[in-house]
Amino acid sequence: MKALSISPRLAIAAGLVALFVAIPLVYIFIRAFGADTESWQRLLQTRIWKLLGNTLLLVVAVTSGTLVTGVSMAWLTERTDLPGRKIFRWMLVMPLAIPAYIGGIVYLALLRPRGGYIPQVLENIFGQSVFTPSPLGFFGAAFILTLFTYPYVYLLSGAAFRSLHASLEEAARTFGRTTFQTLFQVTLPALRPGLAAGALLVALDILAEYGTVALLRYETFSSAIFVQLSGRYDRSAASVLSGILVTLAILILWSELRLQGQARFTQMESNWRPAPLTLLGKWRFPAFLLVMGVISASLIIPVAVLVVWSIQAFLDSQSLTTIFHTGSQGFGSYVWNSLWSSGLAALIAVLFSLPVALLAVRYPNRFSRFISRFCQVGYAIPGVVIALSLVLFVNRTLPFLYATPFVIVIAYVLRHMPQAIRASESALNQLSPSLEEASRTLGRTSLQTLFQVTLPLILPGLLAGGSLVFITSLKELPATLLLRPPGFDTLAVRVWVWAGEGFYLQAAPAALLLVLISALPLSFLLRREKIFR
Amino acid sequence: MVSKTKISIFLLVMMIGASACSAAPAVTEESATLAAPVTSVSTEAPVEAEVAGDLVIYSGRSEPLIQPVIDAFKAKYPNVEVLLKAGSNSELANALLEEQANPQADVFITTELFTVQSLAGQGIFQSYLPLGADQLPDEFLGADSMWTGLTRRARVIIYNKDLVSEDELPTSIFDLTDPKWKGQIAAAGSTNGSMQAQIAAMRQLLGEEETEAWLNGLIANEVTFFGGHTDVRKAVGAGEFKLGLVNHYYFHLQQAEGSNVGIIFPDQGEGQIGLLSNATAAAIVNSAPHTAAAQAFLDFLVSADGQKLFAEQNYEYPLLPGVALQADVQPLDGFRLADVNVVQAALDFDATFDLIEKVGLP
Amino acid sequence: MTTLEVRNLVKQFHGSQQSAVNDISFELSDGEILAVVGPSGCGKTTTLRLIAGLERPDSGVIRLNNHVVAAESVFIPPEKRGVGMVFQDHALFPHLTVYENVAFGLRGKKTSEVRTIVGDMLHLVGLLQFSKRYPHALSGGERQRVALARALAPHPVLILMDEPFSSLDADLRTEVREHVRSILKSRQATVVFVTHDQDEALYMGDRLAVLQKGHLEQIGTPQEIFHDSNTRFVAEFMGDSDFLKGKVVPGGIQTEIGLLNQVVELPISTPVEIAIRADDIDFQIDGSGNSLIVERFFRGAFNLYRLRLDSGQILHAFTDHTQILPVGARVRAYIHVEHSLTVFSE
Repeated sequence: MKALSISPRLAIAAGLVALFVAIPLVYIFIRAFGADTESWQRLLQTRIWKLLGNTLLLVVAVTSGTLVTGVSMAWLTERTDLPGRKIFRWMLVMPLAIPAYIGGIVYLALLRPRGGYIPQVLENIFGQSVFTPSPLGFFGAAFILTLFTYPYVYLLSGAAFRSLHASLEEAARTFGRTTFQTLFQVTLPALRPGLAAGALLVALDILAEYGTVALLRYETFSSAIFVQLSGRYDRSAASVLSGILVTLAILILWSELRLQGQARFTQMESNWRPAPLTLLGKWRFPAFLLVMGVISASLIIPVAVLVVWSIQAFLDSQSLTTIFHTGSQGFGSYVWNSLWSSGLAALIAVLFSLPVALLAVRYPNRFSRFISRFCQVGYAIPGVVIALSLVLFVNRTLPFLYATPFVIVIAYVLRHMPQAIRASESALNQLSPSLEEASRTLGRTSLQTLFQVTLPLILPGLLAGGSLVFITSLKELPATLLLRPPGFDTLAVRVWVWAGEGFYLQAAPAALLLVLISALPLSFLLRREKIFR
Repeated sequence: MVSKTKISIFLLVMMIGASACSAAPAVTEESATLAAPVTSVSTEAPVEAEVAGDLVIYSGRSEPLIQPVIDAFKAKYPNVEVLLKAGSNSELANALLEEQANPQADVFITTELFTVQSLAGQGIFQSYLPLGADQLPDEFLGADSMWTGLTRRARVIIYNKDLVSEDELPTSIFDLTDPKWKGQIAAAGSTNGSMQAQIAAMRQLLGEEETEAWLNGLIANEVTFFGGHTDVRKAVGAGEFKLGLVNHYYFHLQQAEGSNVGIIFPDQGEGQIGLLSNATAAAIVNSAPHTAAAQAFLDFLVSADGQKLFAEQNYEYPLLPGVALQADVQPLDGFRLADVNVVQAALDFDATFDLIEKVGLP
Repeated sequence: MTTLEVRNLVKQFHGSQQSAVNDISFELSDGEILAVVGPSGCGKTTTLRLIAGLERPDSGVIRLNNHVVAAESVFIPPEKRGVGMVFQDHALFPHLTVYENVAFGLRGKKTSEVRTIVGDMLHLVGLLQFSKRYPHALSGGERQRVALARALAPHPVLILMDEPFSSLDADLRTEVREHVRSILKSRQATVVFVTHDQDEALYMGDRLAVLQKGHLEQIGTPQEIFHDSNTRFVAEFMGDSDFLKGKVVPGGIQTEIGLLNQVVELPISTPVEIAIRADDIDFQIDGSGNSLIVERFFRGAFNLYRLRLDSGQILHAFTDHTQILPVGARVRAYIHVEHSLTVFSE
């Protein structure tokens, strides 16, 4: 539906948001391509190719892993008579509340060769060392990242499975296809856009991943940038790596945006009816075990280990003292820091997303689409790169902001605003423009209409977007590590610092709290997705 | 820090309207006003009650290794709010260089001398000789009192006594490249200051080629490089690795946890390079926002109380004469020490990083 | 008195070659209902939105009660025009009750006054008992009436209705439109009513405006539009006309099925087309007739036949429902009219 010509106020507001996004991005490119040729040569000769190979290998492995896991879990819980599927639907998404690096910490403690709990227990039982899979290196990193990112694919393919018309599969059956042929020839291809979107989301996540790969000692671009920053007194090499990483990520984002249009959640129509469940028969039990296995590995084991550690920590007075008083801050202070910085980031991200989304949805043209997509580029920029560019940029141009927690909030907003923009856009898309027009013809100005009609109606969508920004900011590690002012700790930082020193007991309560705080907004989001239908 | 937070909150409120007020951060209640600025380099201890406000510490010593000292300091100076940022030496050095025009930190603590020496040459620090520091050995004081040494630590090999018998123990760091230890050794990686310093020292003693060969030997021998030494000691203590290349106190810390570990002071033989050691140091940042508190802190670090803490809590070698070693810690006097020229090593520090990158040390 | 005056209205959208609204002019008197009708994409909704102020015209003038609301340098925003609008999807605010929806346009009035007006309006549309309900708890027809009540409540100078019945079921539609028309008439509302449904336009409109491709084809009473179409498009769009080829001869028009006794002011031998409807044609079984029954459609009160003339031309004709003729039968068709037919020269 065509609408009024673009309101200049709105266009200016959206333009300012775009400018806010552009500054760090442009800055890092200037630094990267302004770096002296020596830095480039040094990197080109040695590291870049290996890093590129490592990074791409991990991206491909984890993306495939999440596709297989996510789709199979979605099919089993949405389309079969699997016992317990309703509760599984919830449990299969909950790993999103567990940052992958916390999962990595748990598995490292459990499975580290010879030193881990499990190898030691086995050795005590059998009197000799028994082979156990190692969580370190490529396979470990790929396994653990798959465990904690498959829910993206699960959510998207689950929603697609639910909204798919029964008639589509029935038609295939009338043409003589078996259940499984139908699944592979009709259902999965029909889900392809959603799957591709999920897969690309995972891919961007892996590109940006720092904590897990650093922990599991698999070197990728993101972790190499960190190493560069801890190495010589020279940030140009880090800038060069960042420039390449961002280019890579933008390529992925670009293909994701091309798919985005097709990947929208299909709206349930009034004549929608659920497809009949596939009866698993003798496969019921194996399928149940499979799903239980995934849930155990990605949710139950990590949470149980954190709970046990936390209890141990509370029983040990020395650990308890360090937990409640570390650095210059107490436990309450970094919990509060986590909450307010992520909450503020969520609030700002939602506010900033509004003009962009309004412009893109209500006045669709090349300009507004460009603004909207441009503002989503933060998706593709790893936290470490955003942090690096903010450190350099803010210190030089806004020194009074430097080393304040506000810079961290800016980083969160830059990095996670895309989620708010998408949520706002989808909420606005579902709102008929005639509601706003009705308000105008009933005597309200455009601003009054925004506050009296549009905002109240898209509020749930905005809350959803805000929740997403909140969860992802809460677990954001590299940007927080690089940008935190002295004495400013968050839960994520505490977990990382303690675990980095090998103090798992001390890290556990903070990690557990981080998971629990994330689980709340996540549950809210799931209820919106009507996953418990 | 406090006033900055206020500015940022103010900006924020302007940007997003009054509704954001409730979400605005709570900052420390501490007043931002400081004691009267100290005009000249003072050698008198500031009066304890007068020193108040924030003290921003950038520490290359990891948090658990500096926290007890900070706690003791705060017990003495209850009006000082210590804000700690712990990280790797170079990461923090980078920050200090970046912040030259906009200084944030008051005190910088490193785990080796090359970084402070190098930064001192770039005008990052201000001159201050802490109270009583004149008793420290000269080699652990920076030129023009730009930095002050705190403690010494030796680079040693820790081993798991359950896995390695006395007679097969390595005696040199060069034994670590022996294929018989393939996959059995843990060490700290390239981001670790002590490791960087070891490489820098070896470059000076042995030259570029031999050091490069040693590093390549470690990599070829599938040495596992951790981010820090705590991981190394715990892994060796748990039997995950037979040997670990660490600072000496990690052996004591691991032993204190009940592990059956042993310590080797390497390279004591004829023709060997001698025991590598380095020192931790502290410096006050040029135009530090809280100079008085910084000076009080440095005074405390080199005082008998502070030195005792390092020695007792962390098994380090205090630099202040007369402070006793923790029981079990073997005095350095008994060893032949490698002779490293700190000033020269600091000048060559960049080449050390080039070498680290060249061999691709993780 | 003229309530609405539209002069040379033009609107073109970005990226479109063709004008959505191309030089449209018309006037509307107080209390009159104008039904704007045309196929989808003809510009009727755009015209409505231009009048409402939801779009800005490229050129042309719109006057409401003799005040210019849109012209070269004037653009009064929708909230200041005092125009009520009923939307295709009703656009009831889902977060407000029926009462609050109707009261939405009554800002600045005293609460007691608002209560009276909303009560009157809900009474008028017969939904007084639903005032506390939310829109989702209403049926389609009820929503429709709330939307109307909401538009009427501020007593606008002009009501604009954009396909207001299109979201209703067919049987409900007939019922609702009778109800709505009587409400509008009882309020003496001036209305522009947009629809793509000819029946609805003929039923609702005091006058009809037929649009095609942004162009106003004809404006007039329902009778004028139906029986005296200006253009072939209007005849085709408004009344299921067939177009019978013929040639001007002295005394009338010669066609394949006989002579039409209607004098036209065209030179002899001019090829023409006659817009002819099923009720203008009779036919009888005749083995040597001029056409063939191709198909029969049972339409309840009558049977509709499709005839193919020997030339291949298709015509439609009625018989009453008692008479059933077999498909394939040969018949003789002839023109049977008591009024003049519209003739277009080719």
